[in-house]
Amino acid sequence: MHELSLIQEAIRIAEAHAKAANANCINRIILRVGALTGAVPEALEFAFEVARQGTLAENASLEIETVDPCVSCLDCGHQYNCEGWELICPQCGSFNAKIIKGLELDVKTIEVA
Amino acid sequence: MEEVDMCRECGCGSSRDDNTIKIFKPSEIVEGITISHHEHSNQLHLERQQSISPKHINIDISLLHANNRIAERNRGFFYAKGLFVINMISSPGSGKTTLLAKSADLLHQKGLRLGVIVGDLASCNDASKLEKAGIPAVQVTTGRLCHLDAQMIFSALQRLPLDQIHVLVIENVGNLVCPGDFDLGEACRVVLFSVTEGEDKPLKYPYVFHSANLVIISKYDLAVAAEFDESSALENVQRISHHAQIIKVSSKTSEGLEQWINWLVKTREEFLKGQCVEPIYSHH
Repeated sequence: MHELSLIQEAIRIAEAHAKAANANCINRIILRVGALTGAVPEALEFAFEVARQGTLAENASLEIETVDPCVSCLDCGHQYNCEGWELICPQCGSFNAKIIKGLELDVKTIEVA
Repeated sequence: MEEVDMCRECGCGSSRDDNTIKIFKPSEIVEGITISHHEHSNQLHLERQQSISPKHINIDISLLHANNRIAERNRGFFYAKGLFVINMISSPGSGKTTLLAKSADLLHQKGLRLGVIVGDLASCNDASKLEKAGIPAVQVTTGRLCHLDAQMIFSALQRLPLDQIHVLVIENVGNLVCPGDFDLGEACRVVLFSVTEGEDKPLKYPYVFHSANLVIISKYDLAVAAEFDESSALENVQRISHHAQIIKVSSKTSEGLEQWINWLVKTREEFLKGQCVEPIYSHH
């Protein structure tokens, strides 16, 4: 359940930016979460319900934008979207893949007032 | 004369006369009038910002950014000190502590001293076990936290006799999910699973296995009893983690221990020469 640690960090980052902009509250937090990360969107949402209490994000909504995986084959150079961790290259059959997208775990945008 | 009704310093769109850009000849300056394109105060900027509601702020910062910064500081410290650090991750009960107790003796024969930082939710059983075997060990109890982070490692380091240690193993909290996200500053990640856990473990926990430099399959003396399908296990590791080396060990029969120790010695030498590969999970 490291999603609680992650979401607490998201709120900490959001609060720091909101305070720097002299905002009184955070209305919305948008996260960017790659499909290959260890973080589960549902668990992030659940953790957010607890973690937002008593913060500037107390009444904020949480939105999660998922990023589909994209990998590059280190053998033939082919770039492709894979289904989950099925890293096999459709062109040459290699598993020798470098992950280009799908490991994101970012605070993308916040909306403050 | 061209006039632009926008403040050029902040783009605030204020159309007050005094921040209108004017293009003029010096001879046109009338005494007593200060030519200024920007006289409104910062307070006005602030008020205008606050009156725009709601406001979007683009951030684009990783949730792991704060941890990664400390991890990089740890990594720099380890490199400067010549301390080879392993982050060892597995599920609970896969034989990490027993393997380390055995490894300490074998490393000692090669002239290298092992130190261990142990992470668990509670109890100091593992650190006590290692300490009794003469291995410098620090226990980090995380309470309800399911992983170690870089700051905990930094704090734990203060309690180890670092000048007497050549290889430091961080025995992470038994968990194949959460520790995967947290860089601790290690040179290498070792992910371990035992034959009793089944050969499809890498497929079930791909994120952690993908981040491994080395995969250890432990308790190999039980392989026959557990009907462990070796070829399928090796294939599963390679599907997820093509880059990882694989070593089969048994702490009981000592099978594979020499290979494991040789890997530690060789990888440490590469690390000291600055040849260590970038951590596989450094995607941030």
